[in-house]
Amino acid sequence: MKQSITMPVLSDTMETGRLVRWNKQPGDPVKKGEALAEVETDKAILDVEAFADGFLAGPLAPVDTDIPVRQVIGYLVDEAEKGQAATPPSPGLGEPAPIPSPAPAVSSTPSTPIMSSPSPVAVPPTQPSTALEKAAAFPPPSTPLPTGVRASPYARALARDLGVNIAGVLPGPDGTIHAAQVLAAALAAPEADLRQGPPYALERPSTLRAAVARNMAATVQTPTFQISARLAVEPLHQAAKKAGVTLTLAMARACALTVAADPWFNHAWTAKGVAKRERVDVGIAVDTGDGLVTPVLRDAARRPLAELAEDWRILLGKVKKGRLNPEDYQGASFYLSNLGIFPVVSHFNAIVPLGASAILAIAATDTQGKADFTLSCDHRIIFGADAARFLAALAKRLDQPDSSLA
Amino acid sequence: MTELLYWQALNRAMDAEMAADETVFTLGEDVGLYGGTYRVTEGLMAKYGEWRVRDTPISENSFTGLGIGAALTGLRPVVEIMTVNFALLAMDALVNMAAKIPFMSGGQFPMPLVIRMPGGVARQLGAQHSQRLEHMLMNVPGLRMVVPATPQDAYWQLRQAIRSDDPIIVLEHELLYFSKGPMDESAVAPAMHQAMVRRRGSALTCIAYSRMASLALEAADTLAQEGIAMEVIDLRSLSPIDWQTCQQSVEKTHRLLIVEEDCRFAGAGAEMAATLQERCFYLLDAPIQRVAGMDIPTPFNGAMEAASIPRSADIIAAARALTAAA
Repeated sequence: MKQSITMPVLSDTMETGRLVRWNKQPGDPVKKGEALAEVETDKAILDVEAFADGFLAGPLAPVDTDIPVRQVIGYLVDEAEKGQAATPPSPGLGEPAPIPSPAPAVSSTPSTPIMSSPSPVAVPPTQPSTALEKAAAFPPPSTPLPTGVRASPYARALARDLGVNIAGVLPGPDGTIHAAQVLAAALAAPEADLRQGPPYALERPSTLRAAVARNMAATVQTPTFQISARLAVEPLHQAAKKAGVTLTLAMARACALTVAADPWFNHAWTAKGVAKRERVDVGIAVDTGDGLVTPVLRDAARRPLAELAEDWRILLGKVKKGRLNPEDYQGASFYLSNLGIFPVVSHFNAIVPLGASAILAIAATDTQGKADFTLSCDHRIIFGADAARFLAALAKRLDQPDSSLA
Repeated sequence: MTELLYWQALNRAMDAEMAADETVFTLGEDVGLYGGTYRVTEGLMAKYGEWRVRDTPISENSFTGLGIGAALTGLRPVVEIMTVNFALLAMDALVNMAAKIPFMSGGQFPMPLVIRMPGGVARQLGAQHSQRLEHMLMNVPGLRMVVPATPQDAYWQLRQAIRSDDPIIVLEHELLYFSKGPMDESAVAPAMHQAMVRRRGSALTCIAYSRMASLALEAADTLAQEGIAMEVIDLRSLSPIDWQTCQQSVEKTHRLLIVEEDCRFAGAGAEMAATLQERCFYLLDAPIQRVAGMDIPTPFNGAMEAASIPRSADIIAAARALTAAA
């Protein structure tokens, strides 16, 4: 039996995945659960596991290309000899993508042997005038799309009318660019026009960078305000040392307890209503060197500190390896961003991620052991006085750090 | 406004036209004494006499030819063929004569002929009596064909067909004769070949005709509960087809589902898909989909028979799939 291996859906937001490498070659025996390939998603590199024992069979989807989720990337077969299948996995859903080639292939060199479609019939150039005239009445073929991506006629027409470069539009879940995707691209913030500036080369961003860009842009609709205070960090720092935990963790705990005391900071505004959450999950911004991830400490107000410390150690390990799973970094109700390790930073503010009530930005500690705390809040959930009370409550906790670290 | 059965609406239309114009007469198997297999000519013989309501032998080619001859002499015959399946025997009269004489005579002989007959899958009548042959008749230039889905349309379109000077097939449906619907004899009829938007929607367009139109409306109700607003167009006419109405809808929805009871291969829906992609290619956000009868002689077994033609659930599933990747 021949079963398709598809690009897995590894997070709610994942529309495409990039194959990093194949761990196996066609014909290799594989065991159920074994990692066949590695896929780079929004924020992490994850394994594609074999769902049964068998043999990997080609042709395999190429590495380093963005592949829509659920698209076939290879096959699993029962017997090794069947491993070398003749047909490549179709780029779309079962059917070859009908991407018109911009120029008719009238070449004397042997055609590329990758497509198994019936050998092209040589069309005699009869009645060229009528055919050409007719073709001219229709729009010319638009920009070629990346391999494996196709676009509906309406999507192409819309892209042309709206001036959207369709080659840069991400396809929908079926691997096809529909009107909805083009409209989303058209409604996205306008692109910078770099033509008058210095010469430049284009490089595809890492999926992590692209995801951060997307998530940040998605917050534009959130009405926010900032409120700042100078709070003493030193007592908490000392207490954390004494308790044997990092300052980051101690700060996360202090914030979680403050959030727990004012549940509005644990709510989220949604179109359907105010989401009142049952536990405090604190996301902490971590610099990876090539972007930003926000591993989440679950139930940070109630669980023992030692347990949180262990979680945090594991999360940081995953961050280092680029193996953070969606469940590791999604869905915090409150965020923390600490640039305290940069003594030059006296003040900054952060952007409230979607789904959170607020994010607390902590700048560097001064010689008196105080730092600038700036709380950015979603004004649909949090009002100015709430934010002021929150900072006052946090100030109190920082002055009596043992209450947080007990 | 009254509620009438489909056959009653046809009966009223016959009555009205026969009363208004004494050149109108009807002929066919069992149309007289028996009142018509589906009661459409009930009471007409008593009212108009056997000269204008004529029973014929079982001889479709002959009595259809008789109708053609009568039309050539200026009468307005309404030929009833018991079912579309038997029209196969009258193909020479229909294709070679009715459709061609007006053209070959340079318009000297108009053809004010109406052929009434039911088509479609009924209930376990067997493969030979369950055919949908509209695709064959659509392919005959010179013939026109209307496919009323409601009593009101049956009334309007039969009257319009009788008054027309073109050879027109009124293709009825065996399962529609006893369906009920509102009918207003005084209401102003839309043009005979005009399609009607039966339900407004924005997510996709569903084009259907005859019995499938009501099935599509049923499916649209269910889909609406899921938030899928399906626009339903009842074509009402298969020759010619009102492309304008179809195109206007696709311009709005960008997705098209065609439902036909006829077999899928080279069926009526194939023509719709081909023409509408020519007219709307750059407006389509997904490939045009067809839900159609299977390409098999209709099975006798009831469950298999039901599964061989579109059901409401098939339309719902196709609409869901078509709108899933919006």
